[in-house]
Amino acid sequence: MPHLKVYEVFARKSRGEALRHIGNLNAPDDDLARVYAYDTYDEEKWFDMWVVARSEFHEVFNRGDADATSAVGAVRPAG
Amino acid sequence: MATLPPDTGSAVRDLTLVLADSKRLLGMRYAGWILGAPELETGIACASMAQDEWGHGRLLYALMRDFDEDVDRLEHGREPGEYANIEVLDAAPDGWPALVALNAIVDSALTVQFEALRASSHAPLQSRVEKLLEEERFHMAHGTAWVRRFAASGAAARSAMNAAIDDVLPAVLRWYGPDDDRAASLLGAGIVDAAGSALRARFVERLAPVLEAAGMSTAALRTAPDFQSFDPATRRVARGGPDTATIEKVRGDRNRAFLMD
Repeated sequence: MPHLKVYEVFARKSRGEALRHIGNLNAPDDDLARVYAYDTYDEEKWFDMWVVARSEFHEVFNRGDADATSAVGAVRPAG
Repeated sequence: MATLPPDTGSAVRDLTLVLADSKRLLGMRYAGWILGAPELETGIACASMAQDEWGHGRLLYALMRDFDEDVDRLEHGREPGEYANIEVLDAAPDGWPALVALNAIVDSALTVQFEALRASSHAPLQSRVEKLLEEERFHMAHGTAWVRRFAASGAAARSAMNAAIDDVLPAVLRWYGPDDDRAASLLGAGIVDAAGSALRARFVERLAPVLEAAGMSTAALRTAPDFQSFDPATRRVARGGPDTATIEKVRGDRNRAFLMD
């Protein structure tokens, strides 16, 4: 069996609204991630729902990280 | 139904019960894997699919009132031999591949039958089909994703999955029935837009790409069914009905003790 990946789940109530993070799940691939997201999180009347593998997120910066090595974090003055 | 000719009326009644019993039992099979599924998320998927199937079953049993049936007796008071579920649901699946086969093959077979009711002249069925099919989209997606996953997990896993699928296919293909008077009557009255071999062809068309993409054999899928001893009313060959453990649970025998008048 392939390794499981963490997927983050996003949804919104209406077309104009911003997507909001509603949770995460473990799945081996995008197909099962979609199904698991539907089965786990479709309790409310969402307009649409999205899943994305956490590994597909790219950090821009992280101001909470003292040892920040990301491009923006590296040049940011401390404090 | 007053609006249906007698032959068509009894064919619609039989079809409704076949679908109700199949949904009820399929829900039970999914429920059997809520705990103990290979991962937490797929257990949740089984819980969700079980709820969907029970909802569909309940709604279909309620339609039996139109045929002067005692719904309470149908749900709680029948002998095993009176059940009209697709016979591959008679006993609990013996492992996860067998459950995936029920999900990918049997659930999809029921869906193909419901799709044929989308434009039904029989309003009580027609009006309930769309929402049901919407929920079923994710059942098929779950089943086929797991078939692909088995197929991609080595020769042993692929062959276990293929064997589980081949176990259910003959009964599923037979389940659509022959092109007999009953099929012609349902078709002629506009109850369904396809019956018998035409429905079987739709099912084969739906499943063949799934099996082919997974590198699995489609030989069983393309084997013509054998209708010897086929009962057109229940669409079954086996007469005994679900096994004892199944019947006790599906009728809710132990729950009856807690019912109050």
